[in-house]
Amino acid sequence: MAHDWHPDFEQLVDEHQSMVFSLAARMTGDRGLAEEIAQDAFLELDRHLGRMQSAAHVCFWLRRVTMSRCADALRRRRVRCTDLWIEIEEGHGASGEEKQSPLGARLEQMLSTLPEPQRAALLLRYQEDLTPEEIAATLDAPLATVKSQLQRGLKLLRAKAQSHLKEFVRVKG
Amino acid sequence: MGRETVDEFERELRQALERRPAPPGLKRKVMAERSRLRTERLRSRTVIWQRLAASLALAAVVGGGWVWREREQERKGEEARRQVMIALRITGHALNQMKIQLAAHHRADGE
Repeated sequence: MAHDWHPDFEQLVDEHQSMVFSLAARMTGDRGLAEEIAQDAFLELDRHLGRMQSAAHVCFWLRRVTMSRCADALRRRRVRCTDLWIEIEEGHGASGEEKQSPLGARLEQMLSTLPEPQRAALLLRYQEDLTPEEIAATLDAPLATVKSQLQRGLKLLRAKAQSHLKEFVRVKG
Repeated sequence: MGRETVDEFERELRQALERRPAPPGLKRKVMAERSRLRTERLRSRTVIWQRLAASLALAAVVGGGWVWREREQERKGEEARRQVMIALRITGHALNQMKIQLAAHHRADGE
């Protein structure tokens, strides 16, 4: 199909590097690995640039490739959940990045302890603000599965938050 | 109350999961690697063309040699056939001469 959209690769990297890196870092918990994944995703984008039809297509494609690369990397490395947060704290949150509230940091830490599919669904829902339908398309998973992962992930996260964070304990009465 | 808790929790989660800035060197690394890969691809494409050209040249030399050898053999065969024909012609002529001489000799003996 012919299309008139001619994107500038450098501009695309500028626009999407934060999204790709944040997804990879939060999925793998490893800053170095996240950088590698982001680099790979952009280089693959460069190879497929001719097939991109719009800015939205690039965004969808990058999310999909990044999540797929993260799943491959996690399968290879089998990073243990407990190690994730240590690396997030040491790496991802470091080097003069914007300050995060202690509560936010704790939530991010708890997210890293969730099972991979739930973490992926929640990341796409709350970092990328995608609908369950869009998440299903990105992860190439059935909608019902994604909805269930979102529900279970949120429930588990809330349970962890309630047991760990006094701020979220709301005692009735 | 419960709904508010969920909303507040989700809001906090959304805030916690805001996109973080990428490492400062990421874009530079991507662009450098892209440039390196392009150069490498171009070089490997050149090497492929060079190899193809060399293979074609080699095939042309081998093919040309084979054709030349075939023609040379054909030429030699033709030359050998021509020489055999000359030899046969000379032999035939010599035999003819001998036959004439023998006939003359017989005639002389009879007289």
